Amino acid sequence: MNKSYFGIFKMEFKGELQYRSKAISGMLTQLFWGLLQIYLYTAFLNETPVDGFSISQMATYIWLGQAFYVMRYITVPKEIGTSIVNGNVSYNFVRPLDLYNNWFCENLGQKIASTLLRFPLIIILALFLPGNLRMYGPVSVTALLLTILGVILGTCISVAISMFTVYITFKTLSEKGASGIVSTISGLLGGMIIPLPLMPQSLQNVINYLPFRFISDLPFRIYIGNVGISEGLIFLSIGLAWLIVLIILGKLLLKSALKKTVIQGG
Amino acid sequence: MLYSKFLKMHIQTSMQYRFNTIFIGLTQAIINIGEVLSVYILFSQFKSVQGYGFYECLLMMGIIYTVFATAECFARGYDEFHKLIKSGEFDRMLIRPVNIHYQILGSKIELTKLTRVILGIILVIIALIHLNITWNILKILVLISTFICGFLIITGLFIISATISIFTIEQFEFVNIFTNGAKEIAYYPINIYAKWMTRIFTYIIPVACFNYLPLSYLLEIGNIPMWLCAISPLLGMLFIIPCIIIFNLCLKKYKSTGT
Repeated sequence: MNKSYFGIFKMEFKGELQYRSKAISGMLTQLFWGLLQIYLYTAFLNETPVDGFSISQMATYIWLGQAFYVMRYITVPKEIGTSIVNGNVSYNFVRPLDLYNNWFCENLGQKIASTLLRFPLIIILALFLPGNLRMYGPVSVTALLLTILGVILGTCISVAISMFTVYITFKTLSEKGASGIVSTISGLLGGMIIPLPLMPQSLQNVINYLPFRFISDLPFRIYIGNVGISEGLIFLSIGLAWLIVLIILGKLLLKSALKKTVIQGG
Repeated sequence: MLYSKFLKMHIQTSMQYRFNTIFIGLTQAIINIGEVLSVYILFSQFKSVQGYGFYECLLMMGIIYTVFATAECFARGYDEFHKLIKSGEFDRMLIRPVNIHYQILGSKIELTKLTRVILGIILVIIALIHLNITWNILKILVLISTFICGFLIITGLFIISATISIFTIEQFEFVNIFTNGAKEIAYYPINIYAKWMTRIFTYIIPVACFNYLPLSYLLEIGNIPMWLCAISPLLGMLFIIPCIIIFNLCLKKYKSTGT
């Protein structure tokens, strides 16, 4: 059984690697967005500095965000969304695979492949940018290891949250609407629209325990040294607990949605 | 008039899927509200940036949302031009005895974007209530021309993006730098960015003409000559002319995909 999920994962992975020109064009876009944001927040930080989040830490945070953009981005997975809207999803019902696991692997495969394709070049470019624009290395080797752990956990949480968009698509038959709402919420609370360290402390105290910040904010902050090692370990375990809760919740919701799904023949 | 028939047709199609249209429309607005909220949070931490506070930025966001969504609604045909080429629909348009721009404009009218237009106008009104502006007729004229200028510039950018897809067929993600980039850059005073970025978005893509410059005039701040700020929206409007000329020139090189 496990083999078939691995097969799905591998298939999606190879599929993503086909789109090289798309990846290059995407990378240029990411570079531009990175610069745009760094200039913007530099202007803010120049007027009022924030403790534990200097301009160079901010630039590193932004570049990590751009490098792992695909992994952070919450959307209805491409083919799953269309298949729900046009009804092809019903083929999946007769397959002897668990639908949730199947889609989870598919989505994870896509995310990992396009991230692997994009992130090395962006990081290399970002490391060699001049002045305040450049990205810096991790604060320590332990921090780097924790960051890698955190990114893996974050990717899984990102996929688990994406599965909720699949549920909303089932309910509303509108993939755009579903990913719009969920990605806005997770973008705001996950530090993708503005870095969480730039938010007021009172707000951060709440957001830090919500699942969205574990997608990318936590690993990036461990990397730049804004969150210490021991604190990082505690948060990583909270993130793991969230992942389990999200997966269980997602499975239950999908089951309830499938019960009410009517296939209109054809 | 032909365009009113197009418009009626698009209204009727979207009314067929009423729930979907309304749902997408609302989520479009929610995405923007999320952005407004993030700017609000940012300004609750940092009081101001380069003399601009929350309401100044809110005014800029309101303007860009309104003009961007209006362009997305009525000039969607250019934005999704690659789809017209791919499906072969564009080939059919070329043999019809009606002006091609007229047909592209009529090919798609995205009514779900109207929620963003409404949201943008509400934001502008909220911002104007909170900002102390001494109004006179000239200022009202500048504000109105700012909206028109913004609409024309964004439409111009969509036309450029369509021109690129004449050659590439696929829509490339980096075209987003110019369209969405122009949008994001317009949330904050343009001079906080690097010189090269400010120059690109002032002289090449004149985003500043419906954003920073007219606002400097309305709020009477900044050190750019006031008369220049006042006429900047009029200058910005000219942007669309070369866009259309380039599109028409490139159209001569158009090769059908054979669909």
